[in-house]
Amino acid sequence: MRFDIQYRPAHSLAKVSLDPNESVVAESGAMVGMSTNIQMQTQSGGLMSGLKRMFGGESFFRNTFTAANGPGEVLLAHSLCGDMVVLDVPAAGYFIQSSSYIASTPNVSIETKVGGMKTFFAGEGVFVLDATASGPGQVLVGAFGGIQELVCDGSLVIDTGHLVAWDKSLTYQVGKSGSGWIASFLSGEGLVCHFQGQGRIWIQTRNPAAYGQEIGALLPPRSG
Amino acid sequence: MQQLQPMGPGSLPAPPGSGVAHEISHGPSFAMLRVDLAPGQTLVAEAGAMVARSQNVTMAVKLNASPSAGFFATLKALVIAFIRKFIGGETFIVNHFSASAPGRVWLAPSLSGHVAHRRMNGEKLVLSTGAYLAHVGNLDIQMKFGGLSGILAKEGAFWLEVSGVGDLWFTSYGGIEAVDVTSPFMVDNGHIVGYEGNLTMNIRRPGGGMMGLVASGEGLVCEFTGQGRVYLQSRNLGSLVNWLSPLLP
Repeated sequence: MRFDIQYRPAHSLAKVSLDPNESVVAESGAMVGMSTNIQMQTQSGGLMSGLKRMFGGESFFRNTFTAANGPGEVLLAHSLCGDMVVLDVPAAGYFIQSSSYIASTPNVSIETKVGGMKTFFAGEGVFVLDATASGPGQVLVGAFGGIQELVCDGSLVIDTGHLVAWDKSLTYQVGKSGSGWIASFLSGEGLVCHFQGQGRIWIQTRNPAAYGQEIGALLPPRSG
Repeated sequence: MQQLQPMGPGSLPAPPGSGVAHEISHGPSFAMLRVDLAPGQTLVAEAGAMVARSQNVTMAVKLNASPSAGFFATLKALVIAFIRKFIGGETFIVNHFSASAPGRVWLAPSLSGHVAHRRMNGEKLVLSTGAYLAHVGNLDIQMKFGGLSGILAKEGAFWLEVSGVGDLWFTSYGGIEAVDVTSPFMVDNGHIVGYEGNLTMNIRRPGGGMMGLVASGEGLVCEFTGQGRVYLQSRNLGSLVNWLSPLLP
């Protein structure tokens, strides 16, 4: 299997080249186009895991694309303007911010991990996917804006709206940004993630919720 | 004639010896600013712009009243800040990032666009609402009421006047173009990022009377006279909103 990403960074499109009988798993709605010999199978992985995914801001279903009777191609895209990267999943695995997940190789297991009660109050849910691979696997993630890899050497504080993925070797704690709740509210920084340890963190250079608030404030109110 | 100078795509590392160490990457569409703070340095940034920071960089929320402002100016700024916090727009609340040991702060604006750096050496620069991103140094930033003409131009009733000595970063919706004005120059009001203080700005109709205003789709224009630099943005937020609004349920 090969991922080629074109039209970077603003309107990236991933071309997945599959060998005969190879499969790729993708977020429902990510498919742009595919060869006619690709068979698509929709799976929820059971009612509970489907509901858990919906709860985490993802879709209930994921699709598996398999190349039957020869090689084939699947084109995948993200709903937002921005870059995509393919990450090799290490033995320790990654945590992925749920709306950044686009696709993965079939041997990568993707489980929803609910980020804790605090996220409900902030409206900026940090729903996290736990990605682990049983062998060499890959995951395709998409960003709003550009993707920047940061190296955490000790500690780093990151706005939750800018998170894409990070090494599972890092410990993290979601908390307020300022010294008090009023200060945090006024600072406009919402929630931040405090990372500790050694590892890599991928961030997106734009915050989808902040963009929505800025444009949303200028739009007419919804009728009805 | 005016000289058009695109601000350059991609990564713009700071030239050596000019102010604070910083890097602008991912431009022009999704620019992000990284500032490397030396111990004791303070970065002031627009509320909500922080992407990430080193753990040793502390953040404090401040009202952006100028250091010289008296009690009433501070009170006025506080009232405006609270009103704007709820109705939207620039809050005039800023965050102060201070480093006790060398530390980094990453900042990004909320819209798609570029970030530009300007070393201020005592001159005056006027920024449109929303264009201010951050500064380091002894800069005085004052909110100015643009008058009735400012409201008519939809550019917002407020402008920010920046003066003093320090490093200033401002942002745009789209790419930033610097135009050195030598003869009168017209700019669509929605495309202004900022202009140097020695230019005079007048709000005008593009010509063609009332019919021209409605039919040309150009809205109002701002005419700049004098000698100085105008910063333009290649996209107009008002146009995006006008295009999006009828598509919503």
